[in-house]
Formats: sequence, C-alpha cells, structure tokens
Amino acid sequence: MGAKRIYQEYQRPILGLVSVAGLFLAWELVLTYLVPLNPFFFTKPSLIATAFQEQVLGGRLWHDLIISSRAFLWGFSCAIAVGIPVGVLMGWRRRAEYTLDPFLTALYASPLVALAPLIIVVFGVGLLAKSVLVFLLAVFPFIFNAFAGVRSTDRLLINVVKSFGGKEKDLYFKVILPSTLPYIVAGTRIAIGRGLVGIIVGEFVAASEGIGFAISRFGDTYQLPEMFAAIFFLMITAIVLTEGMRKLEAALAPWRVGQEAR
Amino acid sequence: MTRLVNFYTEREHYILGGGFILLLIIAWESVPHLVALPRALSLFFTTPSKVWETFYELLVRNEVQAHFYVSATEFLLGLGLAILFGLPLGLIMGRSSVMDAMFDPYVTALNATPRIVFLPLLILWLGLGIWSKVMIVFIGAVFPLLINTYEGVKNVDRVLVNVVRSFGANEWQVMKMVVLPNSLLYIVVGLRLAIGRAILGVVVGEFYGATKGLGAMMARAASAYQVDVVFVGVAIFMAVSLIFTLTVKKIESKLTRWRPEAVKSF
Repeated sequence: MGAKRIYQEYQRPILGLVSVAGLFLAWELVLTYLVPLNPFFFTKPSLIATAFQEQVLGGRLWHDLIISSRAFLWGFSCAIAVGIPVGVLMGWRRRAEYTLDPFLTALYASPLVALAPLIIVVFGVGLLAKSVLVFLLAVFPFIFNAFAGVRSTDRLLINVVKSFGGKEKDLYFKVILPSTLPYIVAGTRIAIGRGLVGIIVGEFVAASEGIGFAISRFGDTYQLPEMFAAIFFLMITAIVLTEGMRKLEAALAPWRVGQEAR
Repeated sequence: MTRLVNFYTEREHYILGGGFILLLIIAWESVPHLVALPRALSLFFTTPSKVWETFYELLVRNEVQAHFYVSATEFLLGLGLAILFGLPLGLIMGRSSVMDAMFDPYVTALNATPRIVFLPLLILWLGLGIWSKVMIVFIGAVFPLLINTYEGVKNVDRVLVNVVRSFGANEWQVMKMVVLPNSLLYIVVGLRLAIGRAILGVVVGEFYGATKGLGAMMARAASAYQVDVVFVGVAIFMAVSLIFTLTVKKIESKLTRWRPEAVKSF
C-alpha cells in the first residue's frame, strides 16, 4: 500500500530514472552478452565509467573545461556588456529601433557560425578567436530580450514615476531594469546554448586544447570510451547551466514560465 | 517641404532600417579607398564588390551550384527526418504522462547540450559522406520540433478535449479535431527554430571532415586565405536563412493576428 502511494506521488522522477537506468543497463548487457563489442566502433557504459573516472579525476578534462570556459566567459561578458545596453536603447528610443532592428534581425537569423573559419584565420588559434565567436553568437539573445523587456514595461508605472518628479535615471533603475530582468535571464539561457555552440565549433575547426578539441581528438584516435566520457562531461555542464537559468527564471518571474518556446 | 516630411515620417521605419544597412555596406566598400591597409591586414580584407565578383565567377564555373546541391540535400533529408520523428514523438509525449516522464530526461539532456559535440562520433559511425551531416541536421532540428509540439499539445484546452470525449470520440478523433488544430501554431514556431538549427548543422557539419558542400568550400577557402570565397558562403547561408525564417514568420503572423509579438527567437 505504501509503495503504491509513493509511486503515485513521485511517478515522474521514478519513471525517468527507470528509463535512463534501463537504457544504460540494456546497453551494457547487450554488448557484454549478445553482440561482440567492436572497440573501434562502439563502447559500453562500464568502459565509459572507467574512462570518465580517469579523465575527470586525473584532471585532464577539468583542464580542458577551464580552457574552454575562459574563452566562454570573455565572450559572454562582452555579449552582456554590449547586448543589454543596445537592447535597452532599442526598446526606449524609437529611432534606434527603426535603424538597428532590420540589420540585427538579419544577423540573428543567419548562421553566424559560418564565420568561424574566417575568425580563426584572422584572430589566430586560441583564446581571442573563440571569445569573438562566442560573443558574436551570444550577443543577440541579450539584445532582443532586453529590447522585448523594455517594450513590455508598464507605461503606467513610467507615468507614475514621471509625475512624481522622477528623473531619467530613476526611470531606468526603478522601473525599466526590474521589469526587464526576467527577460534578460531568459535571454541568458538562450545565449548560453549559443555560446556553447561557438566554443565547440571554434575548437573543432582549430584548437590545441579545450573540451571540443578533446572530443574531436578522441574521435580521431578511436578512443571511444574517453570520447563518450568527454561528451557526458560537457553534457552535465550544459545541463547544470541551462537548468540553473531556468530555475532562476522561474524564481524571478513565475508567471512567465512555459510561455516561450525553448 | 511638408510633403517631403510627410513622406519621411510615413516610411521612417524602412528608410532608417534600409539606410543603415546601405550605409554599412558603403562604409565597408570604401575602407580600402580611404586608408591604406597594411599588407598583413589586406590579406584578410575584402569588399562587397569583390565578394560579388567572386560569387559570379563561381557561379559561371558551376562550383557554387555543385556545393549548394550537396548542402541542400543534407538539409532537406535531415529536416524531413526531424519532422517525421519530432512531430509524432511530441504528440505522444504531450498526450501520455508515462511516455512524457520516460522520455523527458533524454529530451532535457540533449536539448541543453550543443548537438554538434556528436559530430566526431557520427563521422566515426557514418563516414565522411552526406549521412553524417544528415544525422547532425536531424538531431539539431528534431528537438525544437518535438518540444514545441509537446508544448502545443500540453496547452490544449482541457474543456474542449472533455467535450469531444464525452460525445464519444476516441483518441485518434480527439487528436484530429482538437489537439492538432490547437497546437498548429506551436508546431510552426518549432519548424522555424528547427530550420535555423538545421542550417547550423549543415554549416558546421561540413566544416569538419567533408569534401563537398558549401561549408567545406568555406573551410577550404579560409585556410587558403580566399576571404571573398568565405563571404560568398556566408552570404548564401544568410540569404537562405532569411528567406526561410521570414516565410515561416509570415505564416506565423497569419495564424496569430490577435497575439502581440513575443521575443524574437531563432
């Protein structure tokens, strides 16, 4: 009786856990007992776990992750520093919107990663090129979300602040910024995804270290368990970042959750 | 004078927007005429007119068409597969809470991860031909479609479902009469996002281990310092993305005349 109640209450996590555990178990068992494993073509969870332990505890993957995240942080900080002011300006000044919107929309809609080989040729292999790539990809969600956030600001609140003698500065810090914040957090989540793409592509095209480079090198040398370990490592990082942002979004603006396509 | 002012204020939107883009192109074109670039920099520099010339040249030599054909095949096959799998899976996950709970961990995990990390693995499995690219396009495009279909199904009005049910409709009829029409908008939004991801997949997939396709052409040109060829590729990808995105946007706004514009998302 108790077990049934527990199941009904926690049905989602239980089913999720069962399906993930089941998949890994089946993967392991099939390759151990049914099909002979070709190590140049596939691998199994137990080998991945060993590789993961070696690579992560040995510190190699951490080193790669730190290299990658340094470029990520530089590009991302610049994207915030440029994107939010531009977005706020576009939302607040009509002429700025008219002037910038078509240009920026065109850039946002086009696959800017296509510039990756050129950026690497111009800026060289390493930190700078990757940061530029991350910046280029991550700046647009900040611009357009800050823009939409300012646009959604309640006119009534602005008028109230104005009629009580508030200055331009008060408008920005007391009304516009707080109501824009949830939008910016949502933009951050999208920007994280795009920034990660930038890092990985940059390191695939040309790099000597970093997590994307590690994955492609393991692939080139047929070290499949190590490669899966690196992919899972990156996956965990990405999930932590994205889901963290989603939680933050839910805490800042619970009424907006689920309104927007992922 | 007033007529001129009127003309301007009426079309300010287009004049400022188009003018800015025109200004940027003119500024770009005139850079080498205004300043003498150092030799090292002139190697990386190109102007819109040179890009256009190169484009014409490649077009005459039939080179662009050949690469474009390969890229387009990868795009269409991948996107087609994504629609074929994404829509039904999204519908199933939206309608069945057990399926939802069982697939959710995978969808969340794969959606958070940039899917291009699977590229080396796919090349290992499928080789350097088009199929590794088709797969990367597929796994890029399938999640926006799946997730948006799912959200659409989840947001269907319960009352409508119950009404149709109590008049004796089975699951298939509920699907056809209520669920699908109501989630159409979400599916279209998902399609727009999926197209963007698919193009991204084509570009990146061809950068890395491919001999044919626009992305391969660009990667090769970049390593040979043929900057204008790279820009030809960028321009083609840009044009294709814009055409697709704007077309789907049109359909979207037809479906949602009553709804205010939300955040732009690509």
